[in-house]
Amino acid sequence: MDSLTKLWLSTGLANFELGQVVMMLVGCGLLYLAIARNFEPLLLLPMGFGAILTNIPLSGFSEVGGLLHYIYYAGIDTGIFPLIIFMGVGAMTDFGALIANPKTLLLGAAAQFGIFATLFGAIALNYVPGIEFTLKDASAIAIIGGADGPTAIFLASKLAPDLLGAIAVAAYSYMALVPIIQPPIMRALTTLDERKIEMAQLRSVTKIEKIIFPLGVLLMTIFFLPAATPLVGMFCLGNLMRESGVVDRLSSTAQNELINITTIFLGLGVGSKLSAEAFLNVETLGILGLGAVAFSIGTASGVIMAKTMNKFSKVPINPLIGAAGVSAVPMAARVANKVGLEANPHNFLLMHAMGPNVAGVLGSAVAAGVLLALVGG
Amino acid sequence: MDNMQQQFIEAGTLMLAGMVFVFVFLSMLIIFINTVLAKLAIKFPDPIVASSSRANKKSKSHSKPHGDFSPAVVAAISGAVKRYRSQHGQDK
Repeated sequence: MDSLTKLWLSTGLANFELGQVVMMLVGCGLLYLAIARNFEPLLLLPMGFGAILTNIPLSGFSEVGGLLHYIYYAGIDTGIFPLIIFMGVGAMTDFGALIANPKTLLLGAAAQFGIFATLFGAIALNYVPGIEFTLKDASAIAIIGGADGPTAIFLASKLAPDLLGAIAVAAYSYMALVPIIQPPIMRALTTLDERKIEMAQLRSVTKIEKIIFPLGVLLMTIFFLPAATPLVGMFCLGNLMRESGVVDRLSSTAQNELINITTIFLGLGVGSKLSAEAFLNVETLGILGLGAVAFSIGTASGVIMAKTMNKFSKVPINPLIGAAGVSAVPMAARVANKVGLEANPHNFLLMHAMGPNVAGVLGSAVAAGVLLALVGG
Repeated sequence: MDNMQQQFIEAGTLMLAGMVFVFVFLSMLIIFINTVLAKLAIKFPDPIVASSSRANKKSKSHSKPHGDFSPAVVAAISGAVKRYRSQHGQDK
């Protein structure tokens, strides 16, 4: 009888707690979104599975000695994974559309307003009992508005390691939800005529421009914002490997094998932070709410900036591309393209939206650098 | 309550400084693109011959001799192909 009791006590069924079941359901929800709805499956699949693994009773996946524990501390806590991913993103990024139409950098800058406006919201949430966000916490939460997962994880690991799990989950969930969150805001802020605007064809960009561009960005970051050099530096390294054309093997590794391997571990590591005790609290709800606000404000300010530029610019600018100023490459650009096609089936905005899209990556890296320099010290 | 006010002021300052910095930084990048890169692009244009020879290496169908096409036609086609590739290869 004793051994039967012992056997029963070693089963999962006997040890389940309600919180674990809830978090496993959250993990299953992420898996559903990844598999059935195809939302950022590359990240949500390992993240959802990580959430299930970490909540298995008695397994110890996320305790000292467990696999997920080491993945998290080796790669995410140190900031190494997000930086490697950023290098891969750099190697995948073609700045051609941006160099051909440099004005779109302003759209990438405007969309960062979502980040800084959310700072206010995070501080205001301190009025809610049970929530206590310092300025560092608020900054780490606000960067969700940059819609850039690696940047958000990097900044959170420096400013608010305690909140990293919730912030990463919020950042990646909202990036996956770009096709759902953005279109209503884009439609609400533009008229049908504005959405129909066709843009002039982009000029061709020479090889030398593409090679010098990342070096110029790096130089400016060194001069004006050294705090952003880990992010911008890795990004520029990846981009230079791509554009130089002499290290195709390295460039190919950075944008394929290396980023894929890192993505598996990043997803698992983030998923391991989806434990009931760390996730099921009021602060997480606050972070998820603020993330949505940050994202929406960023989208809106990008669209409004593009509308304003369209009024004053000699060449027409479709306001929809402003929404791509939040990073989320290339999803946000695809969304702009899709909403544009709904209004005008002959209007392909994808290339035009890639300009503000990659500008948004630079913009959120710069914003992260500003927050690190001003709050991190 | 005073503490909250203090935090709001700090957040406001941070917002103002942050947005100004982001705009100034990216505006400087615009100037950089419009001056330095634009000059470089004029001074070192992509040689059409080089790009067509690169295209030759990549696709077998191009490796055949040009036959009876005039060099001007070949140059025009390879220029168009390069432009198409540079515009359509960006969403990878």
